[in-house]
Amino acid sequence: MLSPAITPSTDANTDDGSILSVTGLTKVFVSGGKEFRAVDDVSLSVNAGDVLGIVGESGSGKSTVARLVMRLIEPTAGRIVFEGGDLTAKSGEELRRMRRHMQIVFQNPHSSLDPRHTIHSALAEPFLIQTNLRGIELERRIDALLDIVSLPKAFKYRFPHELSGGQKQRICIARAVALEPRLLVLDEPTSALDVSVQAQIITFLQELRQRLNLTYLFISHNLAVVRHICDHVIVMNQGKVLEQGTTESVFAHPQNDYTRQLIDSVPRLPRLAI
Amino acid sequence: MTALLSIENYHLDIPTFDGTLKVLDGINLSLAQGETLGIVGESGCGKTVLARSILGIGPQRARRTSGRMTFDSMPLDELNEAEWRRIRGVKISMIFQDPMTYLNPLLTVGRQLSDVLVAHARALSRPALSRQERRRRCSELLDQVQIRDPERVEASYPHQLSGGMRQRILIAMALAGEPKLLIADEPTTALDVTIQAQILDLLRDLVHRLGLTVVMISHDVGAIAAIAQRVAVMYAGVVVEQGATNDILTHPRHPYTQGLLGALPDIEGDHQSLEAIPGTIPNLIHPPSGCRFHPRCPRATAICTSDKPAMTSIGADHVVACHHALD
Ligand SMILES: Nc1ncnc2c1ncn2[C@@H]1O[C@H](COP(=O)(O)OP(=O)(O)OP(=O)(O)O)[C@@H](O)[C@H]1O
Ligand SMILES: Nc1ncnc2c1ncn2[C@@H]1O[C@H](COP(=O)(O)OP(=O)(O)O)[C@@H](O)[C@H]1O
Ligand code: SF4
Ligand SMILES: [Mg+2]
Ligand SMILES: [Mg+2]
Repeated sequence: MLSPAITPSTDANTDDGSILSVTGLTKVFVSGGKEFRAVDDVSLSVNAGDVLGIVGESGSGKSTVARLVMRLIEPTAGRIVFEGGDLTAKSGEELRRMRRHMQIVFQNPHSSLDPRHTIHSALAEPFLIQTNLRGIELERRIDALLDIVSLPKAFKYRFPHELSGGQKQRICIARAVALEPRLLVLDEPTSALDVSVQAQIITFLQELRQRLNLTYLFISHNLAVVRHICDHVIVMNQGKVLEQGTTESVFAHPQNDYTRQLIDSVPRLPRLAI
Repeated sequence: MTALLSIENYHLDIPTFDGTLKVLDGINLSLAQGETLGIVGESGCGKTVLARSILGIGPQRARRTSGRMTFDSMPLDELNEAEWRRIRGVKISMIFQDPMTYLNPLLTVGRQLSDVLVAHARALSRPALSRQERRRRCSELLDQVQIRDPERVEASYPHQLSGGMRQRILIAMALAGEPKLLIADEPTTALDVTIQAQILDLLRDLVHRLGLTVVMISHDVGAIAAIAQRVAVMYAGVVVEQGATNDILTHPRHPYTQGLLGALPDIEGDHQSLEAIPGTIPNLIHPPSGCRFHPRCPRATAICTSDKPAMTSIGADHVVACHHALD
């Protein structure tokens, strides 16, 4: 699956096996002269090949953590180490090169795609910017991406408004994995989608992770989805990490009242008898 | 038991630039007074169009091609605009997924609630309420939706309130005309789980206290299960199965219902694999022949592509439209 233009990094992961490790991450926003601590001393680490979930109610700081990790916004304090390199110390070309191995997929596929550009140009963009793939080889890669996300090749000629929400999200995922990143940050990738489409996307993400040997940072407030897909989970509230552990232990034996309340508020379904 | 709302063989088309969408294809539903009916189905299957049609605010160019709707013995399809004004938002009211769209950002919540009361009085040709009466009624409504600090909330602008609070305000407005029927279109979809649970509790409480009849629309089966006694499962403009919530969830008989339930991750389960329904919902301009689900159905046979399955009773209050219903 690797294109000739993309060579796997030889960077070693850190000794403890983590591909991403974050310590003391803090973000203070200033608005209207007032300071607001959206992320407060967050530490986490993700092992290569694992799925780490971040859960918490709206406004708890999940997306801000994602944007900090991606270096889309500057942290007020803290360190982000990706594949052994300190991202917070890097800038310019070097940062751009490292960041190529991490990609983000956002919650709202409707606003993530430029309405004026075809699906073809959305998918071609990462190659045009980061690689020297052109012509027939580029077409082949775009077709392969559509194939990965199980969409017909003819979708190339469509515009975003001609796709359903689930189809748009598939395009966003296709674009995010175009350059074969090693870390995928998924910020509520299925929140705007139907349960059936959600199941398709989740099953697809699980498969993709194995096929492309990916690591996920998976943000969601859907606890059932998190329980389903994540190996480890972090519970956030008001910018802080309240609890973390293996998904199994956090769900089966929540240590924190807030976590318990969160888990209890999910409506339970009677069991299928078949 | 006479039905408060009954929908019979309702067909609706929407002409578009690309062709005519056959959006609703023979809907049959009925609701008894005080009952909560859930409608589930994937997005685009026509839930919102159906809900808005009940309220006489369907898509502008939409055409009913056959069938009828009856509310409280009134033929909804034959009402004129003046008659609608006495019903819409008064006797049948509706809440939506995104409360912000239905609130005016420039006016305080108190003012907007009060405006609703004035509008209702006018619609019902009743004498206008005095300022004092309006204030009393406003606090009563806010109390009904369990808002603890009504003064602060009344003085607030919508953006100063959380999503859950805004939804409560919208519910308060919906209750202002003492409706008999409340249609809730994805009322909790945009909310956090904890807030979602609170809103579901509130709706349940209102049904109980006010004897409200509710149509609860959602693609979240969990939310439906939490409040509806009966569920109708919709696929591509067709109700494919209907029955008591518990029966439907534990013994789905239609392959689509089974698929929908299999697609749900279970909060109590572990990493069992999710069974996604293959494919996507069809284009409604050229809907599949016979059973609209046949291109995605694991049980489909030749008859499914040629004949539309009729709604068949398969148990006490359980109907299904499928040539090869599950046992
Ligand atoms: N650019 C900004 N300026 C000021 N405040 C911000 C900014 N970005 C985020 N915040 C605030 O930081 C807090 C955390 O926001 P964040 O988007 O990380 O929440 P979240 O956990 O992702 O929530 P959701 O579940 O709704 O997506 C919120 O209170 C938000 O209003
Ligand atoms: N105003 C409209 N004009 C044209 N098509 C519409 C309009 N409103 C809805 N539709 C179409 O009708 C179908 C059902 O939509 P909707 O009722 O909103 O689905 P749901 O609420 O189940 O997600 C979809 O195919 C949608 O694109
Ligand atoms: S009628 Fe046929 S295609 Fe339709 S759901 Fe039943 S088995 Fe499947
Ligand atoms: Mg977010
Ligand atoms: Mg809808």
